[in-house]
Amino acid sequence: MVKSILALLKYALLALVLFIMVFPLAWMFRVSLMEMGSSISIENLVASGISFEAYAQLFSGTNTLKYFFNSAFVGITVTVGNILFCFMVAYALARYRNLTNKLLFASVVMVLMIPAHILVVPLYLFALKTGIYDTYWSLILPWMVQPIGIFLVKQYIENIPPSMEEAARIDGAGEFRILFQVVMPMCKPALAVLAIQVFFTNWNSFLFPYILTNSDSLKTLPVGLAHLQGFQAIDWQQLMAGSAIAVLPVLILFLIMQKQIVSGITAGAIKQ
Amino acid sequence: MNRSLAKSFGFTLPWSLTFLFIWLFPLGYAFVMGLTDFNLLRPDETSWVGFENYRALFFDEDFIKSLKNTFIFVIGTIPITTIIALALALFVNRTFKGRALFRSACFLPSITSMVVIALIFTNLYQRGGYIAGLCSLIGLTPPLHGFLFDRSTALYSIMAMDVWMSVGYYMLIFLAGLKSIPDELYEAADVNGAGFFRKLFSITLPLLKPVALFILVINTIKSFQVFVEIFVMTKGKFDTSTMVYFIYEIGLTTTLQSGYASAAAYVLFGIIALFSLAQFALLRRKQPLW
Repeated sequence: MVKSILALLKYALLALVLFIMVFPLAWMFRVSLMEMGSSISIENLVASGISFEAYAQLFSGTNTLKYFFNSAFVGITVTVGNILFCFMVAYALARYRNLTNKLLFASVVMVLMIPAHILVVPLYLFALKTGIYDTYWSLILPWMVQPIGIFLVKQYIENIPPSMEEAARIDGAGEFRILFQVVMPMCKPALAVLAIQVFFTNWNSFLFPYILTNSDSLKTLPVGLAHLQGFQAIDWQQLMAGSAIAVLPVLILFLIMQKQIVSGITAGAIKQ
Repeated sequence: MNRSLAKSFGFTLPWSLTFLFIWLFPLGYAFVMGLTDFNLLRPDETSWVGFENYRALFFDEDFIKSLKNTFIFVIGTIPITTIIALALALFVNRTFKGRALFRSACFLPSITSMVVIALIFTNLYQRGGYIAGLCSLIGLTPPLHGFLFDRSTALYSIMAMDVWMSVGYYMLIFLAGLKSIPDELYEAADVNGAGFFRKLFSITLPLLKPVALFILVINTIKSFQVFVEIFVMTKGKFDTSTMVYFIYEIGLTTTLQSGYASAAAYVLFGIIALFSLAQFALLRRKQPLW
């Protein structure tokens, strides 16, 4: 008797926490599907019908499609760049022992600990001076090789015995061939973790895309959404529709590859 | 030997360049700039002021306020987030129906864009909004103009949202830590007749110490930099301005005092470094913390 009451309590608590965690995102989807002009209230959650008006207006009246394209383009470019460059750097740091590499690894660890937000002003000036301000370069270049990626992949390569590379070297394979055809395939798990982490961070990032660009045609989704909010009298249906568009790819990716994402996002943490 | 050095140099070039141009140079530049009265409106009339900017910061009411708000944010959210995350992890670590779904639901907010979360909660917190409705339901009077338009609730409302958003992420890290505790310890404790709390305080918590401290370090570094939610939800009004918001506002929008803002950035850097070092010192300690 006591046991079943406890079990009931447990599931009640579980349901409550589940509701709290899911509700805000569910609310976003619901509001985005409300008829335009209907007030956002609890009664209207049920009373208002389902309509795609907000989405239609968002696509016809604003640049959201372009923002989406920018986010995808920048996200994919930065992710591919990190897979390639972090792998190269990590390989060298793991396999070539010399003083420069020791210093370079120290710089990786140092940057990992630096709070990036303190760079807003100097990075803005740097972008202005070099002429990359308000171009795609400013969204891509600073993030092409990220210390967290180098760190993760280096740890991984260090645990692979170098026998395969030596065998390939004896067979006369060149360094690039060894790098990309022998070592890289063995690093797939670490590179997947890296790709997930970099893509998600980039897809969601706001501060640097916001300060390093100005033109509407260069805004990423988070920047575009913040702009949409300040732009006019708040139209919640539209704003939530835009938010839903920013969340959907993340949600779909998450549903498809939940396991990898969970291990990917927490990988940096467990390694310590 | 020289060839391998050349190869190593070539392979690491992408990072060497990124480190120099994106990190080291701007960091150094910011420090130098922090010793001048550099202003984006009149960059040609810059002169040295030494540590005057740093002195001025401590007499700047807006800066002190942002410092205070940042500390309220950090000290208010981190313990609550950590405790809830730990409780959730202990809960999810047991097997029950719907466990995977529950875990995913908790985790989802932490991979959602901060801007999106902030927009959703701006709506939920607004006057006559969902949360105001809940408050009236249980007999509390919600703030007249909405939670974000009131000095006494704005910052705390943002903090509550932040806890909601990040507990799932830290829960997963705790879960990974729990998995690494060998089952034999619990079996031995069972044999000796230890109860739930005894096991919690004598096995689970002591062995989770490194994970907990790691969580504290990364959460501290992250929380001291709180910006996006302030930018989207209140624009620093209603006593919610934080240090990064102050730096952004002074350095890039209102008065464009980049030198002054850079000095503020270095104060923030120093505070974060100090906290991280203190936490690392704790991490290194051999004696049990609790």
